[in-house]
Amino acid sequence: MKPEERPKAAFFDFAGCEGDQLQVANLEEKILDLLNIVELVSFREVMTEHSDDYDVAFIEGSITDSHAEERLKEIRNNADIVVAIGACATIGGINSIRNAQDFEKVQERVYGDEREHYEAWEKAKPAKAVVDVDYEVHGCPIDREEFLHVVQSIVMGREPNIPDYPVCVECKLNENVCAFERDEFCVGPVTRAGCDSCCVNEGTICWGCRGMIDNPNEEAHEEVLEEYGLTAEEVMKKFDLYFTWQKEAREDE
Amino acid sequence: MKVIKKEDLENFVDELIANNEKEVVGVKSKDSKYVFDKLENAEELELDYDVTILPPKKYFMPQRETLVEYETREGIEMEAVNEVVPRIIIGIHPYDLEAIKQMDKVFADSPEDDNYLEKREKSVLIGVNMKQISEWSFAGSMGTATIEDGYDLMLTDLGDRYAVEIGTSKGRELLERESLEMRDAEPEEVEEVENIEENIQNGFEKELDFSPQNLPWLLAENYGDEDFWEENAEDCYSCGTCNIVCPTCYCFDVQDFSDISLEEGERMRQWDGCMLEAFAEVAGGENFREERAERYRHRYMRKGRYLYNRFGDIACVGCGRCSSQCVPDIADPTDIFNKLWSDKDE
Repeated sequence: MKPEERPKAAFFDFAGCEGDQLQVANLEEKILDLLNIVELVSFREVMTEHSDDYDVAFIEGSITDSHAEERLKEIRNNADIVVAIGACATIGGINSIRNAQDFEKVQERVYGDEREHYEAWEKAKPAKAVVDVDYEVHGCPIDREEFLHVVQSIVMGREPNIPDYPVCVECKLNENVCAFERDEFCVGPVTRAGCDSCCVNEGTICWGCRGMIDNPNEEAHEEVLEEYGLTAEEVMKKFDLYFTWQKEAREDE
Repeated sequence: MKVIKKEDLENFVDELIANNEKEVVGVKSKDSKYVFDKLENAEELELDYDVTILPPKKYFMPQRETLVEYETREGIEMEAVNEVVPRIIIGIHPYDLEAIKQMDKVFADSPEDDNYLEKREKSVLIGVNMKQISEWSFAGSMGTATIEDGYDLMLTDLGDRYAVEIGTSKGRELLERESLEMRDAEPEEVEEVENIEENIQNGFEKELDFSPQNLPWLLAENYGDEDFWEENAEDCYSCGTCNIVCPTCYCFDVQDFSDISLEEGERMRQWDGCMLEAFAEVAGGENFREERAERYRHRYMRKGRYLYNRFGDIACVGCGRCSSQCVPDIADPTDIFNKLWSDKDE
């Protein structure tokens, strides 16, 4: 690819921990390969320069107030392609836990007596709830290889290969002992794969950071969790960590 | 039939490992379960296991496998790839041996699948009669609790010894070692093996209420009973677990993965499953089995009918992996088949 043919790419962060951009920065020597196919014009974790002339915008974080909304809309106007990266940007992420809580209490917990000085939406939203999003890189944090795969796909003009099946597929391919067989409980059966079941491979459980698959059988999974002895409240907690925005959006459909 | 002392078998396995001519894999424990995995020493071998998480199929058709490597620097250059590791696989239960026999037919069917067949050809299969039976298994009903062929060597535990049945010349050659202390089985030992095999038949908690030969007819009769399939598929996650752990599921998906340079890459295949929503989706977005119940029905049709019509085998060997690993517990073939059978006169 000739240097002048490379699309210009810029990173932007909203409400989030910037851990997804850190994953990109952590590509280390591979970042040079990345630079062969895109020209970075804005990425505050690795460079000081900034330009508003970009083709591809990577969005990290969820959208939580009107300033963010305005800024994201402007980015959408500037960019040909918008890519949401990380759970906060793709599904509302951890920020959306508050969506199911009493908003005044949430504000008080975060801002205390100063709360009236801070404007914030009652509900945190993913980027796609505010603007059109062309591609998503799921996960908390994102997987570096999957990020590269999506960027490559954009440059090549093909659809990236993002699984729409549950984590159970990868868990079985990796021959893990199922969390349910270890007397633990996970949300892998409704969570989008693509992480190579990395958490379960290490002996823990799936928390659902890649969000629910497009057509999850939530009802069945809630029943199963209750059958395995979890209380209704415990079941909700399993689902609330990452799925709150998605659950509400599905109910509104 | 031959007989070998347990300690001599252990030495034999250690020698095979040290020999390094072929990779030696066998059944090992993994937490509370069992898996086929590379053996570091004979002590790791667990020949009295109940069932492994995945069947040994993974050695002939790996979960993920490169089929083609390509580069596009100067024109397009492609090369077919088949990474063959010759292996000795120790501890295969009869139902899995039966499944391998069936898969051999499937992959030898035109067009022949060299990636499978070459790996299969370079493998030595050492079977073992079941000592422990999984509570989910119904191999007794499927005629796969014991087996007459399909192995290179077959072991039966006789307490302090193993009876060794030689199935093929490949198996015989493996035993041709001066250091190996082995003798002919005595009549009592031959009888003991026969008794053990007979007892295995009676050790199953789950069973089919009818001969599996009725399955093609039974499934054809009930194909259109949509209420039945919908009701039973209601709690299905479409997670594909029952497909992936099945010794006779062989579907795969092929994808190209380009390197970040965009100048080279590989074509990979990965196990796929008909329970997954995108399995029957084609270009243009049409999905031939969009509904959970349609996919759920399809798996039973494949196992009990479609593959029988094509290859002559009932493609369920009764290992019980699908039902034991299904979290909502809706994948038990005996449950579905027996319900259909008892309803047949209504």
